[in-house]
Amino acid sequence: MTQLVWNGLFVGSFYALVALGYSMVYGIIKLLNFAHGDLYMLGAFTGFAVLSALGGVPAAMTLPVLLGVLLLTMVSTGLAGVVLERVAYRPLRGAPRLSLLITAVGASFALEYGMRAGAGPDPRVYPVRLSGTSIEVLGARLTLQQLVLIGVAVVLMVGLHLLVTRSREGRAMRAIALDPRTSALMGIDVNAVISRTFFLGSALAGAAGVMAGAYYGKIDFLMGFLIGLKAFTAAVIGGIGNIPGTMLGGLVLGLLESFGTYWLGGEWRDVFAFGVLILFLTVRPTGLLGERVTERV
Amino acid sequence: MRSTQVASLVAAAMLLAGCGQGLLGDGGAAQQDDKAPIKLGMLVPQSGSEAAIGPYMTNAAQLAVDEINAKGGVLGRQLELKAADDACDAQTAVAAANKVVTEGVDVSIGGYCSGATLPTLPVFGKANIPMIIPAANSQELVDQKLKHVFLINGTGTQQAEAATKWITKQGATKVALMHDNTSYSKDIAVRTQPLLGDKAVITEAVTPKESDYSANIANILDKKADFVYWTGYFQEGGLIIRQLRQAGYKGSIMVADGSVSPKLGEIAGAEADGVFATMTPIPDTLPDAKGWIDAYTKKFGSAPGPYSNQAYDAVRLAAEAITKAGSTDGAKVISALEGINGFSMFSGPLKFTPEHTLSAGGFQILVWKGDKFALQDALS
Amino acid sequence: MNETKAPEAPDAPEAPRKLGAKAPRTRLSKLFDNRWAGLAGLLIALLAPFVNASDYALSIMTTAAIFVMLASGLNIVVGYTGLLDLGYAAFFAVGAYTSGVLATRLDLPLVATVPAVIVVTVIAGIVIGAPTLRLRSDYLAIVTLGFGEIIRITANNLPVTGGPSGIYGIPSLIDSKAGFYYVTVGVVAIAVLGASRLGRSRLGRAMRFVREDEDAAEATGVHTYKVKLAAYIAGAVWGGLAGVLFAGQLSAISPNSFTFLYSATVLMAVVLGGMGSVPGVVLGAIVISLLPELLREAADYRYFVFGVLLIVVMLLRPQGLWPARSKEALK
Repeated sequence: MTQLVWNGLFVGSFYALVALGYSMVYGIIKLLNFAHGDLYMLGAFTGFAVLSALGGVPAAMTLPVLLGVLLLTMVSTGLAGVVLERVAYRPLRGAPRLSLLITAVGASFALEYGMRAGAGPDPRVYPVRLSGTSIEVLGARLTLQQLVLIGVAVVLMVGLHLLVTRSREGRAMRAIALDPRTSALMGIDVNAVISRTFFLGSALAGAAGVMAGAYYGKIDFLMGFLIGLKAFTAAVIGGIGNIPGTMLGGLVLGLLESFGTYWLGGEWRDVFAFGVLILFLTVRPTGLLGERVTERV
Repeated sequence: MRSTQVASLVAAAMLLAGCGQGLLGDGGAAQQDDKAPIKLGMLVPQSGSEAAIGPYMTNAAQLAVDEINAKGGVLGRQLELKAADDACDAQTAVAAANKVVTEGVDVSIGGYCSGATLPTLPVFGKANIPMIIPAANSQELVDQKLKHVFLINGTGTQQAEAATKWITKQGATKVALMHDNTSYSKDIAVRTQPLLGDKAVITEAVTPKESDYSANIANILDKKADFVYWTGYFQEGGLIIRQLRQAGYKGSIMVADGSVSPKLGEIAGAEADGVFATMTPIPDTLPDAKGWIDAYTKKFGSAPGPYSNQAYDAVRLAAEAITKAGSTDGAKVISALEGINGFSMFSGPLKFTPEHTLSAGGFQILVWKGDKFALQDALS
Repeated sequence: MNETKAPEAPDAPEAPRKLGAKAPRTRLSKLFDNRWAGLAGLLIALLAPFVNASDYALSIMTTAAIFVMLASGLNIVVGYTGLLDLGYAAFFAVGAYTSGVLATRLDLPLVATVPAVIVVTVIAGIVIGAPTLRLRSDYLAIVTLGFGEIIRITANNLPVTGGPSGIYGIPSLIDSKAGFYYVTVGVVAIAVLGASRLGRSRLGRAMRFVREDEDAAEATGVHTYKVKLAAYIAGAVWGGLAGVLFAGQLSAISPNSFTFLYSATVLMAVVLGGMGSVPGVVLGAIVISLLPELLREAADYRYFVFGVLLIVVMLLRPQGLWPARSKEALK
């Protein structure tokens, strides 16, 4: 039982990291950024390219090197997110919301198949792997690298939460989410703040990509699609636009999948997860921590 | 208004006049030209979830085409490969099949995803084009008893029998079967399970294209399995092997032919050592195939992969059948294929059953040693 | 033409010009508003096989026609009523599977399965729509996405639907490919016309009212929940009937055809063409379904080019290729 919980939490923390970007972007400009999962893929490939360029890494240095690569990747993926917003989303800000959805789908295709053209359709294998011995805690078997990854995820998420709730920058983001026009009148540079939001969200997705690459080892150009879908689901479960809610949503989805596999078998897992989600939303239509808002179109 | 009417009449007249391929035209029937190349159609996934497989198959087919052309072609005509993307999707596959039929292919040598290959059977059937299917091997393809369909990959039943033989020989008592819920993979698992009887303690389905299979693995450990048979592809197979070992699983692991690829070991890392596989003979295990691997690697810059050898053989088999038939006429090629006996392929001498499948699956047991698969047991 | 007969020519085609005269418009938009545009489109569809009737051309044109039907059905839900549906392929799958299972297990001709398909899709529409239509739009999107996945996975797991390899040997409506194409065009033309009529009916106006301002609609006595459910059911039936055509065209169906990506593609057609605009959606569906085929020659770059083109088109025409224009506003 504890093993199921642990498995669920571990997978869930990846969902949460990716879901945060979804949620932040949605919160601020009400866009379902379809290409977000592909930024996760982009992050994984960037990390792969950097590590391959470095050549061999001595075993003792694995962790520090990976952390360095992680930071580098976060910056470059973040910038990619900013460029994406600038090119494909900003010109359409006044357009119907669903038009943005189309450019997002277009961007997703372009990123996936651009990567396929560049890196080939074959899966790649990370040159550096996190490997370690497993330990037993409360009847669950977990490995040291899992703990490290969860630690990194928690640090990133807490950092983001502090940034959004405590800093000037975060206050600007929240203001824009509430009312972009008034925020502009108040002297907030809306475009710059939206750019930074994209930077943060994309950087987190990129970080998750590198972590997945280093832990699981295999990356391919379509790896972002499924996790993007899952992250979207997680964001909605938690209450889209709400940061602690999104983190919680990721963990809940991970647990749902873990227990769904246990109770019903792998082939019915997603049916179980989506079924619970639908039941839950009909009972509590705003997600776990989402606030009740009256919708204006 | 009147001008619109006139314009549309003019347009219609122009359309009717310019129709070589139209309903009123001659239907664009393929001209029988003694010098024109013989066209081989090949539907494989080049986009979508199975995009990685396409190049392995088209490259190998191209290699065979070039080799045959260098020796003067077939019936004095050159071979030409017409590859088209089926995206592993029924609708795209049907469009692609119609495309290559319209381009006048003489034999189809493609077919990887069973779900995408099934709806193309009537397309080729109506055009009287024989199909040599190199990879797709689900039972539904032969259940319809179509005359023009030939499978040169071992069937799920044959593979299940080979797997059961080896599992029994190993003395395993609690076997876990894992599949990825695609028709190829589920077929093998579902056919292996009754053969094992009580020994099959769990059949676990995973969702392909994910990274974390710990929940499925927890289920298997729960049943105290001592043998795991994965019937899916290498992408997930590598991850599953690694995660099984990390979760503390000590028993044997075996994978099916879809997982036999150098990438499996690359993904699984050191944990791949000692993993068994059910597989038809592959270049790696054939003493005289070294030259083939070298030629492939030299030409395409990477080693052959899953179904490369079947695709290569499909081209050679098509050439052989056309030569025997002395023409590209569909019916003649089909009876030539039915009459083939002992044609040498990677999987051994070829003879088709009345069902148009391989008479002997030729499945062997391989084992991963160091950095590649080696023959463990020929099972004969 | 004979000069003397000219005055007797019906003046019906003049009507749109009169309407246009009230608000000056460009020549292009006049052409677009002409009700003969639909007829011209139909004429092109009917004449196309005379230009090229190769198996390939017929196959992609049939696929495009079926796609038009799907898009016009989804347009009722997304375009008219403003409900974001990310799992529309579910109804497509329900229709295709219902007719496929009945036709192969009971040896029925495909036409005979149509009543059953309508009943089953209406039920599916109610089952999915009834509990979820009170949700706000983003949640509705994820719930429909979830239902789409549930239907696909269920079809993949159940023996009666043939598991992952699906159902094969489904009889076609008519044996010749050209004949099937004409049947499809006929059915799709009726469906598009029906969707367009629905849009102009009382119910259609109520749908648009719900889309523009749900609270105001409720306040003026529109039963918004009922209107949404009606839109949802209509969309379900359109999708289900398109599924029957799909099963007839391919003769084999498998869960792989009903993925989330397919739902997203239909939605793309609706938005690209112009939400709520019938001619726009038809155009969008044709573009989205033919473009990847036309890009086949680009091989490896096919979907890359497709993605870039989508972005470029939306940047140039954010309202869609052929946007809807509210006729009420002109009066």
